[in-house]
Amino acid sequence: MTAIAAKKANRVRETRKDRIFNAINLAFWILVLFIVLYPLWLILIASVSDPDAVLQARVLLWPVDFSLMGYEAVLQHKELWGSYLNSIFYTVAGSALSVIVTLAAAYALSRRFAGKRAVNLAITFTMFFSGGLIPIFLNVRDLGLYDTRAVMILMNLVSVWNLMVARTYIQTSIPDELYEAAVIDGADHFTYFFKCVLPLSGTIVAVLSVYYGVARWNDYFTGLVMLRDRSLYPLQLVLREILASLTSTGSSDTFFAAYADNMGGLQEALRKAEVAKYCCIVVSTVPAVLLYIFMQKYFVKGVMIGSLKG
Amino acid sequence: MGNAVSAARKSFGYRAGLAVRRDWQLWVLMLPALAFFIVFCYFPMYGVQIAFRDYKAAFGITGSQWVGLKYFEKFFNSYYCGRMFMNTFLLNAFGLLFGFPVPILLAIMLNQLNRKRFKGFAQTAIYVPHFISTVVLAGMIYLFFSPTNGIINHLITAAGGKSIYFVMEPGWFRPLFIGSDIWQNAGWNTILYIATLTSIDPQLYEAATIDGATRWNKIRHIDIPHLVPIAVMMLILNCGSLLSSNTDKALLLQTSGNMATSDILGVYVYNVGISASKAQYSYASAIGLCLNVINFAIIMLVNAVSRKMSDISLF
Repeated sequence: MTAIAAKKANRVRETRKDRIFNAINLAFWILVLFIVLYPLWLILIASVSDPDAVLQARVLLWPVDFSLMGYEAVLQHKELWGSYLNSIFYTVAGSALSVIVTLAAAYALSRRFAGKRAVNLAITFTMFFSGGLIPIFLNVRDLGLYDTRAVMILMNLVSVWNLMVARTYIQTSIPDELYEAAVIDGADHFTYFFKCVLPLSGTIVAVLSVYYGVARWNDYFTGLVMLRDRSLYPLQLVLREILASLTSTGSSDTFFAAYADNMGGLQEALRKAEVAKYCCIVVSTVPAVLLYIFMQKYFVKGVMIGSLKG
Repeated sequence: MGNAVSAARKSFGYRAGLAVRRDWQLWVLMLPALAFFIVFCYFPMYGVQIAFRDYKAAFGITGSQWVGLKYFEKFFNSYYCGRMFMNTFLLNAFGLLFGFPVPILLAIMLNQLNRKRFKGFAQTAIYVPHFISTVVLAGMIYLFFSPTNGIINHLITAAGGKSIYFVMEPGWFRPLFIGSDIWQNAGWNTILYIATLTSIDPQLYEAATIDGATRWNKIRHIDIPHLVPIAVMMLILNCGSLLSSNTDKALLLQTSGNMATSDILGVYVYNVGISASKAQYSYASAIGLCLNVINFAIIMLVNAVSRKMSDISLF
């Protein structure tokens, strides 16, 4: 008997009921994956198809009459790329600051000290109660932050949830003995945090970066409320005008009609505008999804550790 | 010993000073985060008093005239007040009813997949929609459900039906909102449940197999009992948002046609207090405060009831 056959013989055989269950489960997952992935696939293939084919819904499984004219139209959209740069700045600078501030606070909250209960309570309370949109807006205005780049960085700097995930991670994955050993060797909190905790926090830094980064990249509401100057707009706010309002046909058409001369006349510009919407979606979503896929290795592990006792 | 007794006798301020001197480095590390919470969360809570004042920019928050409950009365007497409460509540209640079980189902079924690579792929794939922005999600709805060239209506007409103007129909606002929400977040929300399932002792499954349990038996008698505590906790958390605003997404999906169901409190606060040409700060603050107080009360109530009945609670 070969090794594989022996292994097979030793395994408990699945009963008939189990085999039926497995078949149902497989069918279930094929359906779920179709529902999850097909809309995304559809966006992707529509973005590289001919506008007429898209409008007639002939693009179903594969690109039809492959063309990049949508992307050409998007490339000429100056305001979109200006806001793209803004969003990169808000996301990178904002998330970096968020991660540092969160990690430092998470370490402090993982130690024992007088007043910890009060601090915990005060922080948790903000999760369940807030002043509301208008007082937050007036507060920002009174601080002189309205319509500045600073407000896009400072708003939502720390999320209570992320802080708790980071604290739990530090508590559970860095042994207390390490702290005791460090203290005996003469380390204070600063030394221990920078020399021991930070180097051991790779996973949680990755997780926090993805959480904060994606939230910032995808946020349009902060900009909508706190910004007036169009040159400060984040990407999502410009996208909203192109994609997500009933008058969007109107506004995106005017957007692209403005470039009609470069795009072979008004008629042609309007035709391209239709596919350009799909291209905008691809261009704006790819960074967030790529970040997730690259970080995925750390991700599942880190989130599990953090959430288990969160 | 004598030292400890004298320390206990010293004033609170002295002891606090001593503690801070001992742990000052921890406080320094916490300082930026604490400053954020104070400035961006607690300042607005102090500023919420404008709901009881007649806010005039010239006088500032504390200088404006005190008018008591004037704006609350105005709101509760307004024509659309009842409709907006109902719309907000129903949107969240249906969202919870249909959205809550899906991640649990997905987690249980994922746990039962035995092909490792397929399982990994499925798990990665169901998280992806979570990384799409609200604006793009709304854009996708407008594109796919467009009455003239959306794919859904092409399918309907191809099957012999009549084209539906989904985003203008009041009856379709909630299905679109909740359906897209489930599509986007159900996969992501499995994380907690999957973490719980992977922490179950494998010996339990082995023992069950030896006793002749089928996969279904194991789900029924091992998986589900382990998921109940965490599911109840999530339910409590979600109950706290029964009147939550969903402002950002509802704002994108609200059209002149579907106001009968899409007119919810969060969007109203935004419209009255921020986007209106003559913003009514005090009035909008009063509505926002009502919402927050009610939400807070609900979560406290549900938490207390749950602790009494099942010993499961957030705090």
